[in-house]
Amino acid sequence: MKRIALAVATTAVALISTNTSAYAQTNGGIIDVATIGEPPTLDPMASTADLVGIITQHMFETLYTFDAKWGPTPLLAAALPTVSEDGMTLTIPLRTGIKFHDDSVMTAADVVASLERWIKIATRGKQAGEVITGIAATDDSTVTITLSKPFAPLLALLSLNNAAAIIIPAANAAQDPLTSFIGTGPYKLKERLPDQYIQLVRFDGYQSLGGEIDGYGGARNQYLDEIRFVPVPDPNTRIGAAMAGQYDYVDQLPVEAFQQITDGATEPVVLAPFGWPVFMMNTKEGLNADIRVRKAIQAALAPEDMMLAAFGSEDFFSIDAAWYPDSFSWHSEVGTEAYKPLGDTETAKALLAEAGYDGSPLRILTSRQYEFHYKMALVAQAYLEAAGFKVQLDVVEWATLTTNRADPALWDIYITHSPFLPEPSLMGIMSDTSPGWWATDAKHAAVEAFNAESDPAKRAELFVEVQKVIYDEVPGYKVGNFNALAAQNPALDGVTPSPWPYFWNAYLTE
Amino acid sequence: MIRSAFNRIFGMLIVMALVVTIVFVIVRVTPGDPAAVMLGPDATAADIASLRQRLGLDASIPQQFLSYIGGILRGDFGQSIFLNMPVTDALWQRAEPTFFLTVFSLAIATLIALPVGVLSAYWRGSAFDQAATTLAMFAASIPSFWLGLIFMQFFAVKLGWFDTSGYGGPGASFGERMHHLVLPAVTLGLISSALITRFTRASMLDVLNDDYVRTARSKGMSEWRVVVKHALKNALIPILTVIGLTAALLISGAIVTETVFGLPGVGSLIVSAVLRRDYPLIQGALLVVAGLYVLVNFIIDMLYLIVDPRVRY
Amino acid sequence: MAAIAQSGFREPNLLMKMASRPTAMAGLLIIIAMIVLALLAPVISPYDPAQLAVRNRLQPPTWQHLFGTDDLGRDVFTRVLYSGRTSITVGFAVVIFASVVGVFLGLLAGFFRRLDAPVSRLIDAMMAFPDILLAIALVAALGASATNVVIALGVVYAPRLARVVRASTLVIRELPYVEAARALGVPTPVILVRHVLRNLTSPLLVQATFIFANAILAEAGLSFLGVGISPDIPTWGTLISVGRQYLEQAPWIMWFPGGAIIITVLSLQLVGDGLRDFLDPRLAKDI
Repeated sequence: MKRIALAVATTAVALISTNTSAYAQTNGGIIDVATIGEPPTLDPMASTADLVGIITQHMFETLYTFDAKWGPTPLLAAALPTVSEDGMTLTIPLRTGIKFHDDSVMTAADVVASLERWIKIATRGKQAGEVITGIAATDDSTVTITLSKPFAPLLALLSLNNAAAIIIPAANAAQDPLTSFIGTGPYKLKERLPDQYIQLVRFDGYQSLGGEIDGYGGARNQYLDEIRFVPVPDPNTRIGAAMAGQYDYVDQLPVEAFQQITDGATEPVVLAPFGWPVFMMNTKEGLNADIRVRKAIQAALAPEDMMLAAFGSEDFFSIDAAWYPDSFSWHSEVGTEAYKPLGDTETAKALLAEAGYDGSPLRILTSRQYEFHYKMALVAQAYLEAAGFKVQLDVVEWATLTTNRADPALWDIYITHSPFLPEPSLMGIMSDTSPGWWATDAKHAAVEAFNAESDPAKRAELFVEVQKVIYDEVPGYKVGNFNALAAQNPALDGVTPSPWPYFWNAYLTE
Repeated sequence: MIRSAFNRIFGMLIVMALVVTIVFVIVRVTPGDPAAVMLGPDATAADIASLRQRLGLDASIPQQFLSYIGGILRGDFGQSIFLNMPVTDALWQRAEPTFFLTVFSLAIATLIALPVGVLSAYWRGSAFDQAATTLAMFAASIPSFWLGLIFMQFFAVKLGWFDTSGYGGPGASFGERMHHLVLPAVTLGLISSALITRFTRASMLDVLNDDYVRTARSKGMSEWRVVVKHALKNALIPILTVIGLTAALLISGAIVTETVFGLPGVGSLIVSAVLRRDYPLIQGALLVVAGLYVLVNFIIDMLYLIVDPRVRY
Repeated sequence: MAAIAQSGFREPNLLMKMASRPTAMAGLLIIIAMIVLALLAPVISPYDPAQLAVRNRLQPPTWQHLFGTDDLGRDVFTRVLYSGRTSITVGFAVVIFASVVGVFLGLLAGFFRRLDAPVSRLIDAMMAFPDILLAIALVAALGASATNVVIALGVVYAPRLARVVRASTLVIRELPYVEAARALGVPTPVILVRHVLRNLTSPLLVQATFIFANAILAEAGLSFLGVGISPDIPTWGTLISVGRQYLEQAPWIMWFPGGAIIITVLSLQLVGDGLRDFLDPRLAKDI
């Protein structure tokens, strides 16, 4: 089953990526992009929200970014950093002659000021800041970062577009919140009317890196004159708008709308696989502080039914125990035996009896911000009850959920999801402080070995160890892989399906 | 009369003070954290705590109350946390769609309700009357969002006559913006026509039995003239009052309808402010909406006082 | 207003009178039918409203599933029946809550001169908020649960009732036999219950019917906006808000609970309208 679903998914991607560049790229045109809502800020350092990243990646750029295979590749840097023998000093050469939207020229001083702002205010920057001991400009076009210990995830952190290490003029680096949205990106902010639109226009002073297009890396062509991001928070309204052809691109549609979109005025865009839904366990307090209870949950859950309820058809998800699907180098099936597609109620019952479960309710914290979270919770409830759990569903608003999950006294499981992040150390579960508070010696041993290694092949092997510990200690339960659906105007071309869609290189063919 | 006016002003100030306090209490009791919403799903507890501090959310409740009152007295309704602009600017920016939505739905409601109400009264007890009265009640029984969704599905998605949502992009002309208001205004207008129909009918019934209507009839005036010139003219004042009342009620309707059609008006602003836990914005919006209501009532009372000095408060 | 008090209203033949007006009678019968259907849900339907059958999802109406199945394979007919229990209970609870609070405030303001001004100002302040807006804010503050939705809507409608009660009480207070009772030293609570409340039954009954109807609509609206009762408790409102995402694929999920709301609310309005005409012709003019 998994194979078939994945095969379908892969074809979908292949189909879409082959038809790019079928027409000659033309300059000009305006596109309207329907997004899932109004971003809380346009400062990509200040938020980890995907929506903020999607919009602001057109305005701001980072030193590095990801290529088509999710490997780091230079963007504002001239090349990958030179790493010293001991792995503690990174020397980053910068591109020269790069202009900001205010026509000033980027210097090493801007980069230093920006990175310092990043380790001060950005969630991911702070994570890096724990090992960064110094950021200095060696000359006008070279920056040196010194570390207290080797830290392999740094390059990925510098490349990511949320809580992003964007480069802004040094003069603006003291702003918090950011008020001047001056970056180096191919498009610049013209007007923002909250809840109505964010209007970006071509930045004429932009210097494309050139070369082949390679994921987020390589050439960034500015075919379009203007990109407007319009918030359409209601998913059903987005479906309707996509069917009516009101926008050129509609992001994040419920995958089940695939047939409707196909029949409508726009074409479906499938990103397969997009990411994973995960049940995070509170390892600090309550029922799930007992590893035996977590093991019982792991046995009780039936991902196949949960995914089916959440995503409607096997065309839109796959059952996969590995934390990364096989398109990633992190993929491995090792140590995942505890994942049972149909659940194993008997084992769960036995494990639960062994744990001496006293019948107090297992509290699942979820919201309907994402309808599939809620549906998975309903199915999970049915299976957990069959295994002898008493389950209490706490369905709250997203705002309340983000507050409550920070309090270990309030929940046992909370449901979240994430796109497949290019670097596993970015997963919340890898940090001791993210809600769930998983911090054991076995975890630390596996994660530290993984973070200290810089050779990609060896890191992939070390990640297998991390995955084993996750399956042994159940700090979280990965339910499966799911696809994402978007819709685009048939005349819009050159958009590569991505968890964070971008519209440089996109063009209108009519 | 002066004394009455003073009493009334004093009363209004007390009501305002109560409104201000109610708003503060409601908003402060609300759980959920704007800082967590803003920072995104992967933010750490420490990040959230420092943003809370910056936003002044960690001050003590009495402190917050004092600065809140102080702000209101200076006409400063605070800064929207999420939109990062003064609350008054945010409300002002959203006033246009709500204003025109209210005007259009009121117009549609009146256009339906006035003739139906007048004819129902005129043919009291007839099949027309029965049907019209029941239909009006039927309209008032439909959940507005349900009707809106069905209209949207049919007229916007299926037929493509209208855009499904929004209020036009940058540089949209006035006509384009108004085009976006058609479906929401029809939805809201249909539903609110019920109240006006019922009231028009009742007022007309009253007047049609009055002496001067009978006199007019006995003078051989045509029925049309009797009904329109005499009866309707006299029933108009109470009818206008209820139309005014309906306008005030429409803000409730606008909250739901604007959300359905994704109109960037005051109503949808309030809903998103609640979902985003944008305390200053919820506070400001509640204050402005309730404050306007109190003020309008006050002005009407004062007008009555001027027109009819015998009125006492 | 004097008419209210004088007409006395212990009409034994209310039902007979209702029968003379077909629309009101039809409304009453439908409401009774809806309540019976909701109560007998387990007898009528062979399905469990919460039973998931994920593999049998989004089936259109058939004889087996009269109203089809929803996105999780649950029987929509059964869910509409069971939802009726919650929706009607919520509506009824709002009426009770609003009546208790409203009557209490109204009596205080109407009967005790000294309390009139402060209580009336409080009522004015509460009424300054548009109803849905106040309900949203209150539910957000209290947390989204069935009880809190009842409290929020109760708080929203209580001032409206309080106004009616106050106005009627002001009149009743001056009636000769009430004054006589007071002169005879009958304790105030006794006067309030024996004379005042009894005379209030009829305006209260009319108001209560309309509040009932409004509360059902408002609950649905709150659920739609995502600030109402938690969606794992089936109410007509939550059924619609879940069903709207399948409006194209499986419209029956949204149509049927919507229809149930319309029928119930319409019947309540017909009854309310009828009651108003019989019990107090004068009130017919005050909306």
